[in-house]
Amino acid sequence: MIRTLKLYGTLIGFVTILVFFSVQLPDTFLTARNLLNITQQVSMLAVVACSMTLVMVMGDFDLSVGSMASLAGIVAALLFSMGYPISVGIAAALLVGVLGGVFNGILVSFFGILPFVATLGTLTMFSGMAFFTSGGKTIFGRDIPTEFSGFARSGLELDQIGLIGLKLPYLSLVALLVLVVVWFILEQTIFGRRLYAIGGNQEAARLAGLKVRTLRLCAFAMTGFGAAIAGLMYASRVASANPTQGSGLMLDAIAAVFLGMTMSEEGEPRVLYSLIGVLILGILDNGLTQMSVDSYIREILVGAIIVTAVAFSSITKQSR
Amino acid sequence: MALSSAQLDLAPGRVHALMGENGAGKSTLIKILAGVQRADTMDVTQDGQALTLTNAEDARNAGFRFIHQELNIVPHLSVAENILLGWAYPKRFGIAIDWKRLEQQAENALLRLGVDHIDVTLQAARLSTGDRMLVKIAGSLVSLDGEEAQLYVLDEPTAALSEDEAEKLFRVIEQLKAAGVAVLYVSHRMNEVMRICDDVTVLRDGKTVLSSPIADTNRQQIIFAMTGRDLEEVHPKRKTPIGKTIVCTAKGAATAEIRNIDFELHEGEIIGICGLTNAGQSDVLQMFMGVSSLLEGEALVAGQPAPKSPSEAWQRHIAYVPRERRSEGLMLRRSAQDNIVLPHLASLSRSAGITHSKAEEATAKQFSNAVRLKADSPRQSVYELSGGNQQKVVFARALAAAPKLLLLDEPTRGVDVGAKFDIYSLMRQASSDGCSILLTSSDLPELLGMCDRIIIMRDGVQSAPIPADALTPAKLLAQFYHSEAA
Amino acid sequence: MLNLKSVAGALVATAMSFAPALAQNVTVVTPYLAQPGTQMFVEGFKAEAEGMGWNANIVDTAGDVAAVISRIEDAVTQNVDAIVINVDPEQIAAGLEVAKEAGIPVIGMDSGASPLLQANVTSNGYAMAAETSVYVANRIAGKGRVVMFVFDPFPPVQIRGVIADAVFGNFPDIEVIDRITPDVQDGGIADSRAKMEAILAANPEPGSISAVWAAWDQPGLGALQAIEAAGREGEGIVIVGIDANPQARDAIAAGGNFEASVAQDFVGIGKATAGVVSRAIKGEEIKEDVVYVPTVLITTANVGE
Repeated sequence: MIRTLKLYGTLIGFVTILVFFSVQLPDTFLTARNLLNITQQVSMLAVVACSMTLVMVMGDFDLSVGSMASLAGIVAALLFSMGYPISVGIAAALLVGVLGGVFNGILVSFFGILPFVATLGTLTMFSGMAFFTSGGKTIFGRDIPTEFSGFARSGLELDQIGLIGLKLPYLSLVALLVLVVVWFILEQTIFGRRLYAIGGNQEAARLAGLKVRTLRLCAFAMTGFGAAIAGLMYASRVASANPTQGSGLMLDAIAAVFLGMTMSEEGEPRVLYSLIGVLILGILDNGLTQMSVDSYIREILVGAIIVTAVAFSSITKQSR
Repeated sequence: MALSSAQLDLAPGRVHALMGENGAGKSTLIKILAGVQRADTMDVTQDGQALTLTNAEDARNAGFRFIHQELNIVPHLSVAENILLGWAYPKRFGIAIDWKRLEQQAENALLRLGVDHIDVTLQAARLSTGDRMLVKIAGSLVSLDGEEAQLYVLDEPTAALSEDEAEKLFRVIEQLKAAGVAVLYVSHRMNEVMRICDDVTVLRDGKTVLSSPIADTNRQQIIFAMTGRDLEEVHPKRKTPIGKTIVCTAKGAATAEIRNIDFELHEGEIIGICGLTNAGQSDVLQMFMGVSSLLEGEALVAGQPAPKSPSEAWQRHIAYVPRERRSEGLMLRRSAQDNIVLPHLASLSRSAGITHSKAEEATAKQFSNAVRLKADSPRQSVYELSGGNQQKVVFARALAAAPKLLLLDEPTRGVDVGAKFDIYSLMRQASSDGCSILLTSSDLPELLGMCDRIIIMRDGVQSAPIPADALTPAKLLAQFYHSEAA
Repeated sequence: MLNLKSVAGALVATAMSFAPALAQNVTVVTPYLAQPGTQMFVEGFKAEAEGMGWNANIVDTAGDVAAVISRIEDAVTQNVDAIVINVDPEQIAAGLEVAKEAGIPVIGMDSGASPLLQANVTSNGYAMAAETSVYVANRIAGKGRVVMFVFDPFPPVQIRGVIADAVFGNFPDIEVIDRITPDVQDGGIADSRAKMEAILAANPEPGSISAVWAAWDQPGLGALQAIEAAGREGEGIVIVGIDANPQARDAIAAGGNFEASVAQDFVGIGKATAGVVSRAIKGEEIKEDVVYVPTVLITTANVGE
């Protein structure tokens, strides 16, 4: 019984939240339009949380994802403003993401700096670069091509499946794609299994012949890449780039992965559970706004739910 | 239920051995004494009075002291602080810690054990495992007024100790005995039990099957009580001759810890490497595993230079069972299967690095059967398994590499008699199949029983390999201290 | 699951207290609620909203602009009667389009103009610059040499410079001797001071500089420091700024060279926004894209009020 509660407590909480909003907001919450809205609203967070899961399965952290997202947006926007085509801007932003991730990986795996310290440092570095390259200003208006910002406003027409006038937003599709890729990497490839092994026991993994350094480096590079994707999605959605706009993503992503970890038997991050963590946060924001709950009370509630879920899973763990 | 009808009588001034295979109920019994776990029905009496043990506090008040296998010492603090940890530090002016008196009290505690070689101002991290255990025992001697220790429970205390450290511990146990304290001594090591214990209780399947003064029983009887079978021969004899091919060569090899290593290991041969703690035994294995790098001389495996990394070693069919199975060997929270296939993921995969769960399952099953793993299923988490079965998982992993060279670092440490026998059989089987083995061990009968030749290490330098038939435990032990003479 | 139940209970309780039936629902979304100006907007807006019996929901996204879009989408889903924003409309065009499609009016509260907004309520930047530049011209009797501090990269400040150029250009005896764009990384005071020191050195004659016109307060304060450090405060150089921030008000009250600035009526903007919202809810079409709220010239005469 306790074991069931430990594993399914968060899931039950998730369903409870869904039921609660469905009852409180009978006309608006469980509508196709609102659900599609939610997928779009959480898409950037989902991308960051999924790629954060890659390093968190190794027991590592990447605190720099938020400022990397900002930096990627700035890089793309700057290149747009200099007249480069959209593809060049996007490619450069993604490259910056990978390079930043590799840099994190080198610090962590080759210099042996604790991920918390190393990525705290790069968080500040990336943020500084974003401020420096943008001159601290928001890049917007004519500098951002309409094709770029239009991406976040369009989607697949859903008329064919009976949802007349509704669209599946492209941002949601990107998030879905990232989710599938990360799921495949973690659950279906040797690479992913090895990341889990590092999380299980790094020293044992090394002695069992795993190239721990290279693996960690690759995982951090992927997380940086994911952060850059999220940064581009963000820039497209707000049709602008600002050196601080991604900073809120990092804590939410870690919170989502933690929420997800409470659902796993081994207490390990799993990407599908991370997604549920993301949805819990996104649905709370969506539903509570619709119920006109004060935004500060909303924050208190979100924090309380995270603490409750984690506390619940640790209490039940101890009483086993 | 781990225990059904177990009984235990402990007398002051006597050392009582508690024996049994893993899973026989020893840990449960200890947990009950510690007040951590409760039995459905039980009577605990102390001096004829009924005793309730509902929590750790009760056990402490009753004068029970527990020294566990995993030593929870605080490495950053000094020895003195570790000894006094949990008790009120002596104070000056009511606030400042009186370091002088703190150290004095700690020293006194050690002296009561007859221990005078430990500097109490030293950082605990710098102590050897054996000294840490003595510090822990000294710490439990420090008690508030009227809270004298009545009973010491030592849970496999020598599992992590070398012979000479164990000797020190035995002297301390003598001191405790002399002080009129009861000692409950949990161990797998028959030699120790025969030597230092006064009484023995053997558990099997949660029942007391033997309870007797040591003087009235013998090895055979105890082993039979534990396993329910006769183990005439614990160490299976060599049946196939040693091959001619040289598998592994060291010529004047040196790493950061060892130097002038010279030997040749033949196909199917087992060479034992032993010595005092940290004399460099493990480093010889690590040199061939690519863990520590070669600084001088030559180290060859199958004619090629020794691997540069563990990754290369596994690819070249060199398999390794590390010394610390929990910290170096296993992912405790993951399944037996995950642990077994870990180094073999690539060879078991489909193309393009996609995992092949059927193949992994089959391999895990094949090798868990080969090592006679006792688990509910290969999916069971390793931390739920007994020490012996955990070690079998590490063995299964090594065997799955189809090893040509097997590097075994203390493979039977903290393993029960039944599992030990299984491991010896596996070693003999591998050797018969042509696999060469380097074995480090602090278990002298194991070395003499399994190895063809034995190398003794002293401060990173080796003796010439000695044929095992030419040695007895006493001769071997003497060699530890005078290895230049060999 | 006791824990989650109690959370749910808390939600019901808050929902009850925040959602009285049948009142008009207006959602205000801003990423900048932590800033003093925004707080005063909201304060003014709330005061009016209460009087009209609206149910006003103030949503702060703590600097997250994308979340502003999300919260606008939620408000549209909730089918509120009007939405008020306090953020650059271009950045949240995605959300504004959703609101427009649903026919929900969106009003900007000092947000910048956009065709996706019913109207933007703000101070008149042209008028503010006119007030201070005319003040300068009067004080120097239409004759003298003037230093201007401007910042053309930022549109709301750029328009101030345009007006001052026009006013000074209309006085034949006023000469603009320098038109400086200070580095604003540190807020603008330090660099403006350095620039002003250079100008003072280049014009050592007493009376060779008659006035300093600054497009906002910080450069004026920097110029004041430079003048005082050079010991030339006795020459009667007139300094004016715009915004009337607390530091500028102190300088004006001190009665030195810094003589005037213009105060925006933040609370008034909030109130006026509520007025526009009320018109929009009634279905009235707002003809003007920008609704201006009067500003006040601050001098020694009224700085204490």
